[in-house]
Amino acid sequence: MQRSTHRRRLLARPTVVSLAAAVALTATSCAKSEDDASSATTSSGAAADAEQKVASPEPGGKTCTIDAYGAEKLDLKNATVGFSQSEKEANQFRIAETQSIRDEARRRGVKLLTANAQSQFSKQISDVQDLLAKGADLLVIAPLNSDGWDPVLKAAAAKKVPIVTIDRKINATACKDYVSFIGSDFVEQGRRAADQMIEATGGKGEVAILLGAAGNNVTTERTKGFKDRIAEKAPDLKVVFEQTGDFAREKGQQVTEQLIQSKPGIKGIYAENDEMGLGAVAALKGAGKKPGDVEIVTVDGTRNAVQGIVDGWISGVIESNPRFGPLAFQTLETFTQGEEVAQDIVIEDGAYDEANAQSDIGKAY
Amino acid sequence: MADVTLRTAPLDKARVLQWLQTYGVYAGVAVLLIVNVVVTPYFLSAENFRTQAVQVAPVIIVALGMALVIGTEGVDLSVGAVMALSASVTALYLGYGLLPALLVVALFAAVVGLANGALVALVGVQPIVATLALMVGGRGLALVLLPQLEDLRNPSLASLGSGDVLGVPYLILFAAVLALLVAFVVRRTTFGRQLLAVGDSRPAAQLAGLPVRRVLIVVYVVSALLAATAGVLATARLQASDPTSLGNLMELSAITAVVVGGTPLTGGRVNIAGTVAGAVLIQLLTATLIKHDLPPSWTQIAQAVVIVAAVYAARGRGKR
Repeated sequence: MQRSTHRRRLLARPTVVSLAAAVALTATSCAKSEDDASSATTSSGAAADAEQKVASPEPGGKTCTIDAYGAEKLDLKNATVGFSQSEKEANQFRIAETQSIRDEARRRGVKLLTANAQSQFSKQISDVQDLLAKGADLLVIAPLNSDGWDPVLKAAAAKKVPIVTIDRKINATACKDYVSFIGSDFVEQGRRAADQMIEATGGKGEVAILLGAAGNNVTTERTKGFKDRIAEKAPDLKVVFEQTGDFAREKGQQVTEQLIQSKPGIKGIYAENDEMGLGAVAALKGAGKKPGDVEIVTVDGTRNAVQGIVDGWISGVIESNPRFGPLAFQTLETFTQGEEVAQDIVIEDGAYDEANAQSDIGKAY
Repeated sequence: MADVTLRTAPLDKARVLQWLQTYGVYAGVAVLLIVNVVVTPYFLSAENFRTQAVQVAPVIIVALGMALVIGTEGVDLSVGAVMALSASVTALYLGYGLLPALLVVALFAAVVGLANGALVALVGVQPIVATLALMVGGRGLALVLLPQLEDLRNPSLASLGSGDVLGVPYLILFAAVLALLVAFVVRRTTFGRQLLAVGDSRPAAQLAGLPVRRVLIVVYVVSALLAATAGVLATARLQASDPTSLGNLMELSAITAVVVGGTPLTGGRVNIAGTVAGAVLIQLLTATLIKHDLPPSWTQIAQAVVIVAAVYAARGRGKR
């Protein structure tokens, strides 16, 4: 329809690109957000005593040694560690996770290579292959998916590079395809959230669940643990509402608004992450409710949610500890020295309630 | 008697389809309202209608811009990204106060709209491709500017999100005023006429000496500004700037509202009242399914059914 010359089209692209670059530059140079002064948060100072602890060094648990795995001993100090992060560092969990790995590498003086897959699985596969090509001797991977790791595992095996996966598991054989998995038990997190909900509501009444994103193992496991524990311990507590909030604050707010309208008698809301819980708080505030009218229990342990307990809006927060750095490097060190390490390392997550929220808020991320 | 029915049957079908195309969306809203009054507890309360209206207001505002763009036989996929961008920019500049922050937001949105319009009108890129580029780039820029959610405590912003005039929340007022304004522009102004002429046939409009390029650029700028308004209002309501998830899939909600409201994708016609009703229809549908705690996948299926029905009705009209 519209006729345009070739030259014009060629000219337009660099113009647009340079325009965007200029915009980005000017936008950040004179920006002034509300709290520029107090923005020195997420540093590692307060995080020190929130370090991960192992919950289950069960004596009968399967272990792995360097001989069984088929790699060679090396000194971690002189090694290069590659870290592949799955999601972009746009939420507190991922930010704290990457920061923890970086901090620990710096503390130990280990050379660290990092990559971020920006939530695209194909990018994560090529990220890890890049890390291998750049000379990583050891790999720490936060997998985006559990399946589809064969090409990477083959490449790593060919170079005899040990792999530790954190926060999510991959479907492969431990001590053959990878060394160990370090992570939380999401079903247990659900159970502990149920315990807090039972305590907050007295074990009676109707509660709602704000589910995470559909088709995500974190969602299914946190739901399963919660429902199982409710059925087992407090049969009078009924789950009458389960809708997804996609792990996002705005969606949590919108769904909660519908919920409190159609079920004004609701006693508790279990949000499968902090963001949706904070959305629920916003909805309750908007509807003119008072702190404590509806008990909210969330999972994650971000600073905002713990602050919510202090303010009285949230009853309890189950922690999902993202600070994998120390434990991951400890595992790699033990392993590369030839000693045995557990194949499944389940970490101990903390919890916040009225009793410790004020004093422990420094541990929140 | 039977003879008469037989003879009028085909004509009736066409008439039914035409009726559906024009009034189907209002009938849908009416049916959903009646069904909900009967089966949904606590539905008939002022508080409930307020909630639905507040939730749908940003969608309506975005859909108004989308209706104008579709009226020119285009489409604007970048609206969700513009919402995210406006959230980031609001957070970045709120230190200067609300009004300066809003001016900067408007500036950013206008730049995105200009880029969209220039690509479409001057370079001759297909609208779907041009705005796709800014959909990806806009959200990218939003995340570069503000990589993570940030809580906002500005009191004027908070009152913008949750305040009201005589019990009517600002969000609803904004949506209503903008809808009236856009409807007036489309129906009563030269610009509105030119917009429809461009959508009807761009070569014909060009031959008739209309300022085709200027009209197109203005339309995309207006669409971006409306999306930015929706982004600021949603941010004000949440009292937090969340560029990662704000406006996700908003382009699809807006296009759905426009199409269900009876505006043809082929351009040359814009139905503003229908667009508002289309947004309300989807909102009521979602609310009904959520209130009855049906699985979220049902909402998507129900939306798909509504879209197919709307497209079917539109097809009937096109053939006539």
